Amino acid sequence: MSVEKKQVRQALGRRLSNESFNTLFMIGVLLALFGIACAAVPNFYLPQNMLNLITNNWFIIIIGIGVTFLLITGNFDLSVGGVIALAGVLSVYFCQGANVSQNALANGLGLPYGVAVALALLCAMGIGAINAFFIARLKVPSIIITLGTMMLARGIAQVVTRGAQRNTSLPDVFGVLGNLSIRGTSIKISVLIMIFLVIVAFIFEKMTVSGRRTYLIGANPVAARLSGIKVGRHLTSLYLISALLAGITGILMASEFKAGVSNRAMGYEFDALVVSLLGGVSIAGGFGSVLGMFVGAVILSVMTTSATGLLLSPDWQFTLKGIVTFVAILAQRFALDRRKG
Amino acid sequence: MKLTDNVLEIRDLVKDFPSVRAVNNVSFDIKRNTIHCLVGENGAGKSTLIKLLTGAMARSSGKILLNGEEYSPHSPRDAKQKGISTLFQELNVVDQLTVEENLTLGMEDTTLGFLRKTDKINRIVSVMNSLEPSIHPRQRVSTLSVAKKQIVEIAKAVATESDIIIMDEPTAAISESEIARLFTIVKGLREKNVTVIYISHRLDEIFELGDYVTVMRDGRHIDTKPVSVIKERSELIRLMIGKTVFEQYTPKEGACKDAILQVRNLTNHKLNDISFDVHEGEIVGFYGLVGAGKTELARAIYGADEYEGEIVFKGRKLHASPDKVIGAGIALVPEERRSQGLFTVLTIRGNVPVMNMKKISRNGFINAAQERRATIEYIDKLRIATNSTEKEASKLSGGNQQKVVLSKCLFADADLLMLDEPTRGIDVGAKSEIYGIIRRLSAEGRSIMIFSSELPEVMNICDTIYLLFDGSVKDMIRNGCDIDMEKIIHVVTGGNVTSGDGGA
Repeated sequence: MSVEKKQVRQALGRRLSNESFNTLFMIGVLLALFGIACAAVPNFYLPQNMLNLITNNWFIIIIGIGVTFLLITGNFDLSVGGVIALAGVLSVYFCQGANVSQNALANGLGLPYGVAVALALLCAMGIGAINAFFIARLKVPSIIITLGTMMLARGIAQVVTRGAQRNTSLPDVFGVLGNLSIRGTSIKISVLIMIFLVIVAFIFEKMTVSGRRTYLIGANPVAARLSGIKVGRHLTSLYLISALLAGITGILMASEFKAGVSNRAMGYEFDALVVSLLGGVSIAGGFGSVLGMFVGAVILSVMTTSATGLLLSPDWQFTLKGIVTFVAILAQRFALDRRKG
Repeated sequence: MKLTDNVLEIRDLVKDFPSVRAVNNVSFDIKRNTIHCLVGENGAGKSTLIKLLTGAMARSSGKILLNGEEYSPHSPRDAKQKGISTLFQELNVVDQLTVEENLTLGMEDTTLGFLRKTDKINRIVSVMNSLEPSIHPRQRVSTLSVAKKQIVEIAKAVATESDIIIMDEPTAAISESEIARLFTIVKGLREKNVTVIYISHRLDEIFELGDYVTVMRDGRHIDTKPVSVIKERSELIRLMIGKTVFEQYTPKEGACKDAILQVRNLTNHKLNDISFDVHEGEIVGFYGLVGAGKTELARAIYGADEYEGEIVFKGRKLHASPDKVIGAGIALVPEERRSQGLFTVLTIRGNVPVMNMKKISRNGFINAAQERRATIEYIDKLRIATNSTEKEASKLSGGNQQKVVLSKCLFADADLLMLDEPTRGIDVGAKSEIYGIIRRLSAEGRSIMIFSSELPEVMNICDTIYLLFDGSVKDMIRNGCDIDMEKIIHVVTGGNVTSGDGGA
C-alpha cells in the first residue's frame, strides 16, 4: 500500500460523530453554567452541593434512559410518570398486611416483599406491553397511546389508594432499599442503581447491534424494515424496558418514603423529555445519546439549584426550566449547523 | 381578443441540467381545440417539457407563445391564471371536503370572513353537472373513485376558463370502464374551447383519442403529425426508438446453470399470475413502463408486500417477510433510494453493515475495527467519493448514495440481488460504474434481477428479459444481436403478443 493511500485510510476513520460533538458541546455549556453558578451563588461550590446536583435527580435520569431510546426511534413515552406512581402504589398494596385493620387503605395482600416487588414490576411492564401493542403492532402514533396509558396507570394508582396514599401496615424491610446509603455519605442505593443503569445504557447504545438498530429505526423506519430489521419487535422491547425502568423508579421511591402515593411523579414524563432534548436527542429520530441526556439532567439541576440558592421564589422554577430548554436547544442546533462537514 | 389558429407555439425550447440537456431545441405547434398527444420513452424529455409549460421549472432558452403572446410562467399557479391547467398523477383534490368545496377552493367569495354563495359557484357546479351528472356537488370527495376525482379536477379547470389542460397519464390508475367514461369527457372538451395535451404510454389510447401526436426522443422533437395519417402502432414505435445505439451486450458463455429462484403463480393486488425462473449467475431484466408492476414484483419477492403463489429459493419456500428473505440470501436495492434504502442522517459507516450486522459483531457486540475496515473496503471497492467513513449519507451525491445502498446489499453476501431502477437519477459516469459492478457480480456467480423502465439499460446488461404490462409477464426474450426493439415496445405499451419465443 502506498504512503498516500495509507494517509487516506487514516483520515477515513477519524472524525468525531455528531452525537459526541453535541455531548461535548453540552458538557461545555454545563461547565460554563457551573462556573457562573459557583461565582454567583453562595455555597454553590461546596462538595456536598455538587454531589446533590447529580443525586437529587436520579429518578429523572433513570426514566430518561427509556425515554431517550424511544425518542431516538422516533417515538414518545409519556406514560413513565404514571407508571412510577402505579408501581409504587402496587408494591405497597401487595406488601401491606392482609386483614389487619378496619381501614381499607391499611389492608393489602400480605405478600412477601420480594414477591410484591416482582408483581409490581410485572404490572408496570403490562403498561409497557399495552404501549407496544398499539404502537408497534397497530401503528397508532405513540403520543396518543402513551398519553392514554399515562392516565390509565395513574388512574389505577388512584383507585388503589382512593385518590390518596397507602402508608400503613408495611413490614420494615419495605423501607430498606430506598433509604440505604453508602456508609458515611449521602449517596443512596438508588443513585448507584442510576449510575449502573446509565453505564449499561451507554454500552448498549455505543457497542451493541441492538443499540445500533435503535438508531436505524429512528433514522428511517421504512429502510430499516427493508434492511431486515424487525422494527415491531425492537419497539416492543424498548417500551417494555422503558416501563420496567419506570417501575424500578416507582419501587425505589415508594421504599424511600415508605408510602405508595397516587400523585407521585406527576409531570416527570415531561422532565424526562426535557432532559433528553437538552441532551441533544432529535425529536425526528435517529439522533441522540444517553450521556447527553445525563448532562442535560445535570444542567437542569444546576439551573434549578442556583435559582433556589439565589432565593428566587420556587414559583419561578417552571419559567426558568422553559427558558433553559429554549436557549440550550437553540444553541445546540446553531452549533451543529455551524459544524463543518 | 383575436384568437390565433395555434393555441400554443413552442420555439427552440431548451432546458439544461448540470450533466444533460433534457429538452433540446424543441419547436412545434399545438392547434386550438384539439387533443394533442405527447409520446416518447422514459427520459425522452416529456416530463421536463411539461414542467416548462406549467412553470414548475424555468427554461434555459427558447420561446413559448400562448394565444400568440409571449408566455413565461414563473409558477404552476401563474400558469393556471394564464390558462394552462394540469391534471397530475397525484391528484390535487382534498379528500375531506365536498365536491363543491373542492371546485371552489381558493376562489371563495367572503363577507367578513364568512363564505358567501354566489353565481360563480353555481356556474362551476353547472359545468361539473354537464360533464358528469352522476357526481353530486355535496358528495365528499373521499367517496369518489379515482376517475371521478379526475373529472372533478377537469371540471375545475374548465370552469376557470383554461385554454389548455395537460393530462399526465390519467389512465394509469383507473379501471377499463372508467377509462371509457373519461375518454368521452376528454373528447367533449373540444366543444368547450379547451385544448388537451395528453401524455400516455399506452399507444392504443393515442389512436383512440388523439387528433395530433408529437413524438419526442432523447430530448428532441422528432415529429408532429395528425394521428389519422399514422397507419400502424409500429410506425409510432419506430419514431419513438429511432436508431438508438447501445453499448454492446455480450452473450454469456456456457450452458444454463441450475435455477436458484423459482416463482410460480405470483398474484396480488397489482400482480397477475407471474411465473419465472432465475438461474445461477444470470442477469434477469424486468422491463415495463411506469405502473407495469415492476416495483410490486420486487417487493412481493422480498416479502415487503403480501402475495399468493409460491416462491422457492435454493430449493426452499420463501417466507414473506424481509428479514427472513434477507436471511435466505436475497437483497433488494429499492426504487426510492433516499426514502427506502438509505439512512440519510447516519454516516456511511452507519449504513454499510446494516443488512448483515452479524458479520461485524460477536454475541451482539459490534466490533468497531471490523466495522470500519468493512466500510473502507466498500468505499474502495465501489469507489464511493468521500473523505471520511464518518460522512453523513445525506451529504453524498445521488450516484454515491446509490453506491452506499449497493454496498449495504453487497455486504449482506446475498446470492440473489434485486435492483429496482438501479440507475435512476444518476449521472452517466456513475451509471456505467454500476453496470460494471453488476457484471462483475454475475461473473462471480451471483444472480441479479433488474427492474427497470429504461430499455437501453435492460438491453445493455441483462441475459434474459421479461416484458411486463399491467401486472403480468407478457413475453420473455433472450438477449442477443437479433433482438427486436419494435416488438418490445409493442408489447410493453399494451400490444398483443403474436409470436412468443418460449416463456410467458
